[in-house]
Amino acid sequence: MLNDDREQFRGDARRRLLLVGGCLGGAFAVLCGRLFFLQVMRGGQYRTLAEDNRISLKPISAPRGRIFDRENRILVDNSPNFEVVVTPELAGTLRYLLRRLGRFIDLSEDEVKLLLQQARRQRSFLPLRVKSHLTWEEVSGIEVRIHEFPGVDLQSQTVRSYPFDSLASHVLGYLGEPSDADRKRFPKLSFRSGDLVGKSGVEQHFETTLRGREGVLEMEVNAVGRHVRELHRTPPQAGNDLLLSLDADLQKEGQEALGDNTGAIVVMDPNNGEILALVSNPTYDPNQFMRRMTHAQWQELVTDPNRPLSNKPIQGQYPPGSTFKIVVALAGLAAGKLDPRESVFCGGSLIQGDQHFYCWRRQGHGSVGLVQAITQSCDVYFYKLAERLGIDAIERQARKMGLGAVTGVDLGGERPGLIPSRSWKRKMFKSGWFPGETMITGIGQGYVLTTPLQMASMISTVANGGTVYRPSLLRLQPGQKPDVMSQNTFSSHHLAVLRQALEAVVNDPLGTGNKARLDGEIRVAGKTGTSQVARHKREKSGKLIKTTNEKLQDHAMFVCYAPVEHPKIAISVVVEHGGHGGATAAPLAKRVMESFFSKRDGPVG
Amino acid sequence: MKISLGSGSLLSQGGASSLGWVERLRRFPWSLLLLLTFTSTVGFGILYSAVGGEDNIWLFWRQIMQFGIGIGIMGSVALVAGEKIYRRFSYLFYAFSLFLLVMTMIMGSVGMGARRWLELGFLRLQTSELMKVALILALARYFHDREGAKGLGWWSMSVAFLMILCPMALIIKQPDLGTAVLLGAVGMTMIVVAGLSWKVLLVLILVLGASMPLVWNGMHTYQKQRIITLFSPERDPLGSGYHIIQSKIAVGSGGLTGKGFMAGSQSQLNFLPERHTDFIFSVLAEEWGFLGGIGLLLLYLLIIMRSLLISEMANDRFGLLTVVGATMLFAIQVVVNVGMVLGLLPVVGVPLPLISYGGSSMVTTMIAMGLLAHVSIHSKQHGRSV
Repeated sequence: MLNDDREQFRGDARRRLLLVGGCLGGAFAVLCGRLFFLQVMRGGQYRTLAEDNRISLKPISAPRGRIFDRENRILVDNSPNFEVVVTPELAGTLRYLLRRLGRFIDLSEDEVKLLLQQARRQRSFLPLRVKSHLTWEEVSGIEVRIHEFPGVDLQSQTVRSYPFDSLASHVLGYLGEPSDADRKRFPKLSFRSGDLVGKSGVEQHFETTLRGREGVLEMEVNAVGRHVRELHRTPPQAGNDLLLSLDADLQKEGQEALGDNTGAIVVMDPNNGEILALVSNPTYDPNQFMRRMTHAQWQELVTDPNRPLSNKPIQGQYPPGSTFKIVVALAGLAAGKLDPRESVFCGGSLIQGDQHFYCWRRQGHGSVGLVQAITQSCDVYFYKLAERLGIDAIERQARKMGLGAVTGVDLGGERPGLIPSRSWKRKMFKSGWFPGETMITGIGQGYVLTTPLQMASMISTVANGGTVYRPSLLRLQPGQKPDVMSQNTFSSHHLAVLRQALEAVVNDPLGTGNKARLDGEIRVAGKTGTSQVARHKREKSGKLIKTTNEKLQDHAMFVCYAPVEHPKIAISVVVEHGGHGGATAAPLAKRVMESFFSKRDGPVG
Repeated sequence: MKISLGSGSLLSQGGASSLGWVERLRRFPWSLLLLLTFTSTVGFGILYSAVGGEDNIWLFWRQIMQFGIGIGIMGSVALVAGEKIYRRFSYLFYAFSLFLLVMTMIMGSVGMGARRWLELGFLRLQTSELMKVALILALARYFHDREGAKGLGWWSMSVAFLMILCPMALIIKQPDLGTAVLLGAVGMTMIVVAGLSWKVLLVLILVLGASMPLVWNGMHTYQKQRIITLFSPERDPLGSGYHIIQSKIAVGSGGLTGKGFMAGSQSQLNFLPERHTDFIFSVLAEEWGFLGGIGLLLLYLLIIMRSLLISEMANDRFGLLTVVGATMLFAIQVVVNVGMVLGLLPVVGVPLPLISYGGSSMVTTMIAMGLLAHVSIHSKQHGRSV
């Protein structure tokens, strides 16, 4: 009985055990299936995740290309920036160590507090930057005692340096943290925090050339980020150096010539468009941008009324004044509406309708032909010439000589200037063009605006016989053809007359540009200009009332080239509020030319 | 089996207890010990890789030592006691274990946020481990005593449930959800095998399902977190989801054949947490791949099947249910641990038997194995077959 019962139980238990075993088998099957899913079906995916865990990529920064002038003098360099770092886990008591370090480097109590705070936040094996931009004294002070400071390390990074400080700062530019615009401009570059990018000048324009290719260090790391070993290293590729067309001596001379004046000087090679000097005054020191500028320094740069950050040769737009008469004269000759021998009477002013148009020389120039009109810069002659030509012909000639449009120089932020026309006036003012406006355009006043670089390019075109080159800041390689923007065909007769007049400006005793005359054999051809800032006030008699407000004073202009036979150099000078071009701007051009020719041919004179 | 041995369990009791040592050794299930030793040895290899480096190599040696002690315990449990001893003292043992659990509740020492250990001077006892064995024996005795009752009524069922629920409640309070669930699952399986009527089983399942929301509300925040994490570990990748994510990465990246011994980046570079204890299966799966993982699961399946075979040899209900309980204790741990490592079950602290580092787990496992061997040694089928 008992055994029967036992046997019955055993049979029952066997059935029930089968159920339990079945459940277990099912569970094991699920586990195997899951294992198959994770390892075989999703294996590749998880392998990638494991690699991501394991490998940390550390960029190795590539040295940026350096920048040289045309004589291989280094204008922008990479110099070491020493910094002292400490690895807290090796340092023992950090507070005590920092206090001892404070004897050799300048560390304020606040800085120490900040460092201790930061040390608490990050993992103790990660290095902590104590101080950067160490002086040589600080570096050597720590270096000889490095064994006394466990966990302390001296590291050097490269930092951009500008050995000539403010020399050509507007051409060279400076670096800064990338903005959204920079990211948009270089979609292929991946910027990281601490990365710098050219913000202005050639540093900005030639970013892709100067910038190297970052290297990568592949490190194996463990779960807390500690480096275990190096897996692979892709070395960085240094950026390319730039060889500029600038001549540091000439640039320096121009900068010194301007002195405290606000203004611009552009020196070009008229035969290929190479820029030898591009001076903008006042300047700034790009080194300031590399050693964290203080707020006060930045404010000073931004609020200075003379706007040291603006690059005046390409961003300053001035009425060209009488220098524009070159364009008007060429327009007249080209149109066949100007006979150079024809004389015009200048009585000091001209009445057109109810308007008075004054010549700068109150008593007038008497009867003048083209050459005298340019030499003495007679305004009445050009009022009449302009009236005869009409605005369309003047506009056409100005544009053919590269005015009213950007020159295409290798710099960002260039402004186009302004050559007015009927359609422009209709668009801007919704009114027609008045003949009086043509007349003041004839002497480079009114709406017309040019940049100093455009004027240098314009006078270069006269010097080389008609070619408008794209101004280049890079030195042309041997055999490299310069970029040509447009080609004017001047008749040799017209050109000869104009050149004769420009030569007389500097050399004729009555010429307005005598102060640009060189002492030696080299002859200079040029044109002065005085560009009106505010409408001149006159007495009833027409006599000019001199203004005492310096900001309303005229800008002084001068363009020239030399030597007249085979021009090697073309110059454009603007001195803001400098008064008469012949008095203020011409001597600066002379100084630059002396420097240029004495270097080539020995001392002038 | 016919009535050839006469009428009494008394007689057979006398016969079995007089088994000589040689006979006991002869009847010892050596094949089971061989499987256990082989699996443990595989475990030593994984552990060697998991502790990685000389600093922690003592863990490896200690685990080998613990297995040695474990064999001693298994042998003692299997060989020394007479046939009826465990049955006779099962209730007392259960009561003692329950008492210790209460004492742990009152004066246990706290470690990792849970009160699980009782300091007994020289010994640091994890009392819930003791209860695993005690519950198996007590339940086996309970159903053995109700031999002959036709089915199991509500009343006797309720007592059995109470025997399970009391220690479970105490252990949940510690809190140690893993052990409590393990205890419940083992006890439940024993009840089912003992003869729970299918109707009652169905009702129980329904009631259990219905009470889930209540259970959920009664859980600790961290326990709820683990379950939420299971279904969406990406919600908190560096916090509660970290274990599951890193474990799945380790397992998955192992692929078909694995990265090789000591070459698993997840385990060697510390991405894998608890890699020498609860997550040691991930180390195996990463370094030996799908083939290694399947291999180990097959080994476990062999052990489980070999163990269940012993139930066929049991002389009585006590023996049979002891075998079922001990086997399930082992099997459920394997399933829960591997399920957790593979991201199928919530992260509960259930070790992988024989392989996870740890003395308590090793001792409990080997006691259970010793009980299996004990049933096998005292089986009358041995006598018959001679």
